[in-house]
Amino acid sequence: MARNRVVPVPGMPWRLVIVIGLLMVLAALVVGRLVLIQVVDQERGAAFLREQGAMRAVRSAEIPAYRGMVTDRRGEPLAISTPVITLWADPQILRDSNRLGVLADALGQSEEQLQQRLDLYSDKRFMYLARHQTPDLARRVLGLKISGVGGKREYRRFYPAGEVASQIIGLTNVDGKGIAGLEKAYEEVLHGRVGQKRYIKDLHGDAIRDVGVVREARPGQAVELAIDLRLQYLQHRELQRAMVETGAEAGAAVTVDAWTGEILAMTNHPVFNPNSRSAFDYAATRNRVVTDAFEPGSTMKPLTLVAALETGAFTLDSIIDTSPGRIRVGRKVLPDPLNYGAITVSRVIEKSSQVGVTKMAQAIGHEPVLSVYRRFGLGEPSSIGFPGERSGSLPNRERWSEIEKVTLAFGYGLTTTPLQLAQAYAIFANEGRRVPLTLLKRADGEQPPVERVISEEVAQQVLTVLHRVTGSEGTAKKARVPGFSVGGKTGTVHKVGPSGYLPDQYLALFVGVAPIDNPRYVTAVVIDRPQGDSYGGGAAAAPVYARITDGVLRLRNQRPEIEAETPAQLASFGGGQ
Amino acid sequence: MMSLRWTMPLLIMAVLMSCFAIIHSTHASRAYYADLQRLEGTHWYLQEDYSRLMLERSTLASPHRIAKMAQEDLIMRAPDLAAYRTIVEGAY
Repeated sequence: MARNRVVPVPGMPWRLVIVIGLLMVLAALVVGRLVLIQVVDQERGAAFLREQGAMRAVRSAEIPAYRGMVTDRRGEPLAISTPVITLWADPQILRDSNRLGVLADALGQSEEQLQQRLDLYSDKRFMYLARHQTPDLARRVLGLKISGVGGKREYRRFYPAGEVASQIIGLTNVDGKGIAGLEKAYEEVLHGRVGQKRYIKDLHGDAIRDVGVVREARPGQAVELAIDLRLQYLQHRELQRAMVETGAEAGAAVTVDAWTGEILAMTNHPVFNPNSRSAFDYAATRNRVVTDAFEPGSTMKPLTLVAALETGAFTLDSIIDTSPGRIRVGRKVLPDPLNYGAITVSRVIEKSSQVGVTKMAQAIGHEPVLSVYRRFGLGEPSSIGFPGERSGSLPNRERWSEIEKVTLAFGYGLTTTPLQLAQAYAIFANEGRRVPLTLLKRADGEQPPVERVISEEVAQQVLTVLHRVTGSEGTAKKARVPGFSVGGKTGTVHKVGPSGYLPDQYLALFVGVAPIDNPRYVTAVVIDRPQGDSYGGGAAAAPVYARITDGVLRLRNQRPEIEAETPAQLASFGGGQ
Repeated sequence: MMSLRWTMPLLIMAVLMSCFAIIHSTHASRAYYADLQRLEGTHWYLQEDYSRLMLERSTLASPHRIAKMAQEDLIMRAPDLAAYRTIVEGAY
């Protein structure tokens, strides 16, 4: 009974009382301190201690997010991320290892090399051993269990189509961020969100176990392009062939579905291999179809024709006298190759007569022409949002000299990109309506917004003339496609140098529409500096157009106009219902 | 007063039960997290396989290779116009 009493009992020695009292004070102090640390929120309290503990043991790591795939319209992959492992080391731990030789062997490096790099980073706690290794190899290295060596999961981008679609797709840098082309344009969609997790580490920095996910990694979304890889390949092949045949330095081609505004193929020369960064020419990464603006020359004449028809002053059959085959404007004399005499407006375009177009331009003035150019989307960027896209330019002057008014009508004094050319001709193919272009596939049945730009009748009249350009009297007989009627317009423009037009350097252009009775596919071809005598649009660019269009119409299941009617043979194809 | 006498044991029971529930759910959470990590590992391996197979397929199916094989190995060519037949759906 007495032992349980704390109060002094008569007879208890006073020293015992003091000792018990002191012990109780101590116990109270400990309990008080515990309460202060664990319960009461104060400086250097519970939160502080937890933080200090975590600082010593808990680490956070990134969970890489899968970068979305880029596919063509049929689902073929054009850019795909594959998991790789980046091997790293802590030099301060690794340098004491006696298994450097084994490690170097497994990495395929020499031991001296590895030693040199270790010395270089000897005061650091991190160095890369080898980035982006295949999982097999990385696992072999990690399997050696050499302390100080670690692996980090990453993704590497591969481009199965290689050089064929290189400029459109673009590139990512080593950290997986889009730096060119669509990889850059759709970075937000593709890249996803990197996650974060926390883990507990031991003394050596190795992860013991994960504590939890702070932020879930969210994979990037796939991007489905309007590009058809088969057409892309075909166009690429024909453009390469044209480079060889014409000896040209560079070229570009683009094919557009005029009804939907989808870009079906877009190629350039020179090309680069996006899967190999060792030999890398930055100039070749340029997507010339959208980044290179030039004077479109005679390919603008159909637009001038639109302006002339709209004023009502001309019809296709109006007669223009082009004798004597040259015309003086201001101080300049504009010649035709030969004297065509009195010809119809239609024939003026077919023959691409400078004199005829000059007379038309003088009759209607520059304002209607400029208005048509604007309505056709020249001088403004297209809607595709491609990085580095140029908008070209339209002249903006207070005073127009006579020669400026005239040259505008045949395509000088303004600049356009190949894509803008295709977009302009797509308006003819789409009954005078403008559909915004897109590099992304439109959903089935999606109705793109359309804007009427010119009347259906005018569009139809221009198509008639474009068809005649490929006829027996026209400048583009080489643009004809076997089995189909097509239409188009050639252009041959002087290249511009530092001090004006270069005398013997040309751009050969052709823009065409096919098939002419049900127009849908528009292709623009640009050949930069063709060599030799066949430098004109009709000689250098039109054959390329013809071969590309031949493939486009076949692959898009267009029925040839001329076809032997022998349905009986179809039975062998199992052609029932 | 009766109610107060029973309240105490009841509360103690409740505390005990919630203690066990906490132990159970903590354990379950650990197990689930282990599962998640294992599945993430599997996911990673499968993705590795998938992208490797995709690459392999697109290499084998590249238009360049197909065109080469068709022309050189199988001696195929695009039909000329005389050989064209268009099958119109529902026509026969």
